[in-house]
Amino acid sequence: MKEYIDSGILEVFVMGAATDEEVRELMYMKAKYPEVDEALKQLETDMERIAGNMAIAPPPGIWDKIENEIDDLIRRDTYTAQPVKFRTDHGHNGYERSVPPDQFISIESESNHMRLHKSWRWVFAAVFVLGKIFLGFAIYFYLENRQTQQQLQELKTEIRELKKK
Amino acid sequence: MAQSKSVAVRNLYNSFAAKLLGYIHEVVQDKQVAEQYLQAVFNDVPNEIEELSKTGVNALCRLQVMARQKLADFFETFDNETDRRAWQNMSWVNNKHIALMTPLQQQVFLGVYYQCKTTSHIAKELNNSEEQIRKTLKECFTIIRNERNNERVH
Repeated sequence: MKEYIDSGILEVFVMGAATDEEVRELMYMKAKYPEVDEALKQLETDMERIAGNMAIAPPPGIWDKIENEIDDLIRRDTYTAQPVKFRTDHGHNGYERSVPPDQFISIESESNHMRLHKSWRWVFAAVFVLGKIFLGFAIYFYLENRQTQQQLQELKTEIRELKKK
Repeated sequence: MAQSKSVAVRNLYNSFAAKLLGYIHEVVQDKQVAEQYLQAVFNDVPNEIEELSKTGVNALCRLQVMARQKLADFFETFDNETDRRAWQNMSWVNNKHIALMTPLQQQVFLGVYYQCKTTSHIAKELNNSEEQIRKTLKECFTIIRNERNNERVH
């Protein structure tokens, strides 16, 4: 058993580099021999320690983006994982991202929803406010026009009466 | 159902996002790119949530494997051998664990832990036996564990 543990298979497994056959064998060994299980747990703790040493708190906005994406995927329910590719420009601190095909709006998509960039909300807000202003002006001029028509009608009536006299 | 999935992802995010972002940042050395990879990994979590929630599965290790699979594409973006070598030399100076390893141990550890290489691939690259590479990988963990134990003593 010591030989099995010392072979490095557990380390390969926790890093996700073991073959399917090795994984099956390890699962069997883990279930059968408590020392394998114990060694594996210790390794996982080591992995958590290493990761803990380099932890960086993500900025607050990241979760919102993930949540939006997940909600959208759950709604669409036709999600298939797409490979993503990001890269640095090696020293310029920028990045490029190859756009996966599902970022385009499909015209023939079965979904009735359309995704828009958040910056469009300002455009919609401006259109809404301008719409209200134009509506206000339209009502004002309509009422004023009606009043003018009434005054004109009264004047015409007065003139007709004066002519009769 | 959808709601519970979202909550499960949120719990995983709260527990492991910082560790995973730190890991990804070590690889890509760019904050923005690291955040994009973190997002990409967590966008896939709903598909893996059942596997991640199984008893006996270490969620962080599983998330790291998912991140490694995505990061494999990052290494493909290196234009040439110079880029590759520059990456190998740049990021590990500040990692106290890696600094304690021998050059061979560093090559093996960096290859498997950060570059998602298999031990057979590294064995071929270094013209060494896979058995030896696996033992070297084990030595790397022994170094990390000893360092941790020393920290506890002090």
